[in-house]
Amino acid sequence: MADITLAALDDLAIHRAKSGDLAALERVYRAYEGTVYTLARRICRSPEDAEEVMQETFLEVCRSFKKFRGTGPGSLTAWIKRIASSKALIRIRYEKYRQTEEFLEDSGWAGRLDGDTGLQMDLEAALNQLSETSRAVVWLHDVEGFTHEEIAEQMSKTVSFSKSQLSRAHARLRKMLGEEAQC
Amino acid sequence: MLRHCTIAELLDLRDGEGSAVARAHVDECDACRAELDRLHQRVAVLKALPSFTPPRDRWPVVRDTLAQARRRSRWQRAGGAALAAAAALALMIGIPGVRGSGPDAAIAQEVDELKQESHQLEQVLHEVERERRVVNGRVLVVIVGLEDRIAVIDAGIATVQTGGHVTVELRDLWEERVILVNQLVVTHVQQTAYVGH
Repeated sequence: MADITLAALDDLAIHRAKSGDLAALERVYRAYEGTVYTLARRICRSPEDAEEVMQETFLEVCRSFKKFRGTGPGSLTAWIKRIASSKALIRIRYEKYRQTEEFLEDSGWAGRLDGDTGLQMDLEAALNQLSETSRAVVWLHDVEGFTHEEIAEQMSKTVSFSKSQLSRAHARLRKMLGEEAQC
Repeated sequence: MLRHCTIAELLDLRDGEGSAVARAHVDECDACRAELDRLHQRVAVLKALPSFTPPRDRWPVVRDTLAQARRRSRWQRAGGAALAAAAALALMIGIPGVRGSGPDAAIAQEVDELKQESHQLEQVLHEVERERRVVNGRVLVVIVGLEDRIAVIDAGIATVQTGGHVTVELRDLWEERVILVNQLVVTHVQQTAYVGH
């Protein structure tokens, strides 16, 4: 979504946003609200949480725009996504502590699916069945293009943790989608 | 390599980090090549999933919060500058420790404005609370937390006011109160919007 609106977000607008111009900051918001909300929805548990993440992200973006060192829309996208993913990961970590009894642990889902061979699921539905941590790693790495090093840093975990979450998530997705492992 | 590749090895290959041995195996093994293709396809489908559209415009909240923070910062700067000017003036005219009426008057005016703003927000809050239908547990925790903090601020204001002077501390307390009541209004509005959504 950002790509469509980025054309309207030129270097001048970015320069004005850096000086704290509210109209320019609103343009940044308009250009990225869909991108940030989609990222947050893919990581967070509920639409309400995603909205909160979006709001927190833009508050930080607006407050710290002066610190943004890039010049073009490309680097701005990466910067905003990094803030958004950080906020979303903080949110799911908080939710995990707060609602552990409701949290869908990896092992729980694997157990349920063991006896359900041949189950065909839509990829989006399957993605939602992953634990929030696994889903976050899949989304950030495979879709948003974050490296394992970046994910590990944001999650305060190791690179191995990120890699192992990704491979476990793909194993589960394969199972849920009813794809028989050939190898 | 006699065995098939693991998913981790295939993911490494996909990311261009796989070992030469794994690469050679995939080149020769139809099953592992098919699995690698499925990985690519799955990620392509993930990337093609539709975007979400935010259900509500959050810009007004972001803008108002920024404006409030800027106003607060301006007040602090203006207050600091006024006090510095007063101190300089006191030095120039040789009156040690004098607190000029200028800064006091400015602070008093700020306090009056903040009181007025707080009063207006209380009225909005009253209206929003009347319309509120359901409050979920999480929102309730936030609301109770904000109300507790406002109660503490109110106690602070009452204590400072007993001295009868309008001080910087009193202004800061009113500023804090306005921010908290505003957060309370926003929380109620959001909750009402969710329920009505």
